[in-house]
Amino acid sequence: MMQLWDVEVKSRKIEIVLILAVLLASLPLILNYGLLILSSFSTEMVTNLDPTSFRPTIDNWILLFEGRLSVTGGVREDVVRYTINTAIVALGVAGVVVLVSVMAGYAMSRMNFKGRSLIMQLILLLHAFPGVALIIAVYLIFRATLPSDIELARIYSFAYVIVARAALEIPMSIWLIKGFFDRVPWEVEWAAIIDGASRLRVWREVMLPMVKPGIAAIAIFAFLAGWEDLIYVRTFLFDRTLATYIESNINVEFAYMPLLAAAGTLYLLPTILFFILTQRLLLETSTGGIKG
Amino acid sequence: MVSVRLEKVTKKFGKVVAVNNVDLEIEEGEFMALLGPSGSGKSTLLYLIAGIYKPTSGKIFFDDHDVTNLPPRERNVGLVFQNYALYPHMKVYDNIAFPLKIKKVPKEEIRRKVFEVAKLLRIEHLLDRYPGQLSGGQQQRVAIARALVKEPQVLLLDEPLSNLDALLRVSVRSELKRLQKNLGITAIYVTHDQAEAMALADRIAIINEGVIQQVDLPEVVYNRPKNMFVGGFIGNPPMNFVEAGVEYNETVKLIVGEDSVWLPQEYIEILRKLKLQKVVLGFRPEDVLVLKDESQVEPGSSVIRGEIFTVEPMGREVLLTIMIGETMVKVYAPPTQYYSMGDKVFLQINPAKLRLFDPDTTIALEYLVKT
Amino acid sequence: MKRNVFSTNKVQLLIFLLPAFLIVLLFYIIPIIITVYVSFTPMRNWNIDKYFNVIVGLQNYNRLFSLITRDPVARQVVVNTIVFVAITLVINVLGGLGLALANFFIDERVSTGFRTLWLLPRMTPIAVYGLLWYYFFHGSNIGMLNSIAMSLGLIKKPIAWGQEVIPWGPWSIIIIVNGFVGVSFGMVIFYSALKSIPRELIIAARVDGASNWKLTTNILIPLLRWHLLFVTTWQLLSLLTTYAHTFLLVEWGVVSRTYGQTWALYVFNTAFGRGEQDQGLAAAAAVILVIFGAILGWITVRALGFNKMITKPKGDI
Ligand SMILES: Nc1ncnc2c1ncn2[C@@H]1O[C@H](COP(=O)(O)OP(=O)(O)OP(=O)(O)O)[C@@H](O)[C@H]1O
Ligand SMILES: [Mg+2]
Repeated sequence: MMQLWDVEVKSRKIEIVLILAVLLASLPLILNYGLLILSSFSTEMVTNLDPTSFRPTIDNWILLFEGRLSVTGGVREDVVRYTINTAIVALGVAGVVVLVSVMAGYAMSRMNFKGRSLIMQLILLLHAFPGVALIIAVYLIFRATLPSDIELARIYSFAYVIVARAALEIPMSIWLIKGFFDRVPWEVEWAAIIDGASRLRVWREVMLPMVKPGIAAIAIFAFLAGWEDLIYVRTFLFDRTLATYIESNINVEFAYMPLLAAAGTLYLLPTILFFILTQRLLLETSTGGIKG
Repeated sequence: MVSVRLEKVTKKFGKVVAVNNVDLEIEEGEFMALLGPSGSGKSTLLYLIAGIYKPTSGKIFFDDHDVTNLPPRERNVGLVFQNYALYPHMKVYDNIAFPLKIKKVPKEEIRRKVFEVAKLLRIEHLLDRYPGQLSGGQQQRVAIARALVKEPQVLLLDEPLSNLDALLRVSVRSELKRLQKNLGITAIYVTHDQAEAMALADRIAIINEGVIQQVDLPEVVYNRPKNMFVGGFIGNPPMNFVEAGVEYNETVKLIVGEDSVWLPQEYIEILRKLKLQKVVLGFRPEDVLVLKDESQVEPGSSVIRGEIFTVEPMGREVLLTIMIGETMVKVYAPPTQYYSMGDKVFLQINPAKLRLFDPDTTIALEYLVKT
Repeated sequence: MKRNVFSTNKVQLLIFLLPAFLIVLLFYIIPIIITVYVSFTPMRNWNIDKYFNVIVGLQNYNRLFSLITRDPVARQVVVNTIVFVAITLVINVLGGLGLALANFFIDERVSTGFRTLWLLPRMTPIAVYGLLWYYFFHGSNIGMLNSIAMSLGLIKKPIAWGQEVIPWGPWSIIIIVNGFVGVSFGMVIFYSALKSIPRELIIAARVDGASNWKLTTNILIPLLRWHLLFVTTWQLLSLLTTYAHTFLLVEWGVVSRTYGQTWALYVFNTAFGRGEQDQGLAAAAAVILVIFGAILGWITVRALGFNKMITKPKGDI
């Protein structure tokens, strides 16, 4: 492959021009992300591009974890708890999405039945479905089924938000994981069937280990989807997450903006981490990952 | 062990007829080779026997038991796939143990059986590795071990040696034959390598475009091919075919170009019965004497004139490509003579070995009269 | 011995499909039915007990129609939607194509970095992504845009771009914010399509002396026809239905409610927003969106031949 490219008469000059052009287009992104992170370590926001505003400090982070919104303020915000709540939702969504799509994706890829092609197309359609049209009724069902006991209701709201949010990711995940199943040679599955295994057993013991990268991909996408969510969390969840924390505290006085920048950076951290660690997997499979 | 019988089995994939009305019986303990070119339906036939495919029509029997609608796991067959299909995430030990684990065989017994079969196939030292860490030959043995460990009634092998180098192939194939005979398993062995089929099989079934062409002992398939396809498929290089006219006088002889070819008595009688005006003359490259000089021709024997087109020394022999009129034939000659391009030569075909085919049906004449 | 293979296969199939079926039933099919039903009720303030059993026929649809024709705010929603969808769509498709092509021609290692960066907005928590642009368009001098514009001498004092520059201020903001998210979809699809073009084809063109530009217009883009169509229709659908990012921009006052609200957001705000919540009206607006989306989606799926991508499983087991 390398040699093939070598014959190409690639122009170094054009390449540099292209790199600069993309860099220029990326500038708002780079600045936005960079300055958010930088501001979280500064006593003043540095988003005004004024280097003199940058006075390094880690007070923002200390205040954040102390749960204070200002140096003097008495309001206690349990940010650790919010982070845990966010993680519970994200992990829950990932779990539900993986379990459901790994089962359905296998059937869609490997089992023949009437209407299979139609169902796959409808699933694709569900992915593009206006979520806002669903959320009204999904909330209505939530209201109607909410337990009256407050503790129970809290737990219920966690479970509900997880499954409801997972439902949005499942159609695309089914398509995605089906593609991974499609690539497993039939012979391997047949070998197991001839060896006497049932389809359930073939699925569990032979197929699942062979689509591990696919499972990782849909798990990461689903985790990030649960992690990033705002709308469902604010609509259904009784408890706060990092998203609703930021949402509701945005309009506190300017002096404490760097504290929210720290909250934002904290919230962004897992996303960035996944991006660095699983760059390839994300780039290769992201086409199906989430809505465009 | 069981015998396997296919009755009018047809398998269609949409419009493609992969297996066409096949009748085939493999006896108990027999080693049957299934030989045919790529895409002829060999794998499909095996999968039908294993139960992965259901026939579009026809029936399959193990002994007298109709298994046509039985799922694979109730047929107790072992199948070695063309690409081995080992479970890549399991160690060799677990690969081999898998069928027993499914059957809920006790752990200790699994252990004993896996080691036993591993020893048989000389892969005991590999049990701790993953398939990805094995050579093609080793993987193939693991696949065979996995198929054997459950003591199948029928062993199906789909070109298991095709990925091995020539040397290893020869040694593994004799090992395979010994194994099959020792265990007494009914085996069907798919290959498109005829040397392999000849060396291994009790009988050979030749298949083309989903149709069984001939089922017989290796030497019969070689010496008395049922039709031009079989003759042209078996042998390396395969049988030569030359069109010939037939002259009926006090005797019957063939006319090739300006030359006449005398026929053995058997064929004279057949031709008198069939009264064909044209036949195809078939002969194998090794059944010909190449004479450089007309004076060498024994009186009373018949020769065909030709011109040397290419000369390929092969070590023990020389392979000559000779033009007879417009037709190209390949023949072996001893390397003691010096041949060069453009030489005029005389081909003297061993009359006992020549074959005649009907140009319309391509069937060998002796089979035409028999049926 | 079990003889009945087919029935056991059916059972296994049902087990595999059951969880997905339940989810689709509970979170898609039943909600759709309820939404349609609610659009025929006077449901407001989530007062289910009081309004769920009251049917008012097409009243909500009539109200919606008269609002659009008479109420300037509601009419603005339609205008906003059209402007937002049309412009963002063009930006997303062309931007995605441009990014994919640029990345295609530059060194793989550099392009991996770029592509990851551009994928980031899509995966960034909505609240954080909103926060970034909140700072960027902030109406005070901490806003990045304001400080740039001021240091260039374009403006004298900070401007609340999304509130004061009407209507193009809020429009530009929602277009930019959603554009940076949407553009990566096209980029990823086009890039992977470009990568799968046989290299011989490209090398042959190079040997013939084709420039990057010629190569792009004569060979690459024609080969991307299917993908262009797919990205365009798919983006159209998702732009029509997206609202989460804009929701925050409006809530935080980065953009004016009147000029920032698109149809999908209007549905959400009408059902869940501050003040009186009118679920009946919201449901009616949602149903119209669903009908539009379903027709468009189905045409897309059929026209793009997704059914041909679904190959039949092998074997008869
Ligand atoms: N699942 C399938 N769907 C459609 N056509 C098929 C399928 N499996 C096989 N075929 C077709 O049936 C014919 C026989 O295929 P088969 O795999 O049995 O050939 P083969 O003799 O094993 O060939 P090879 O030596 O290449 O392995 C071929 O024309 C093939 O294209
Ligand atoms: Mg085959």
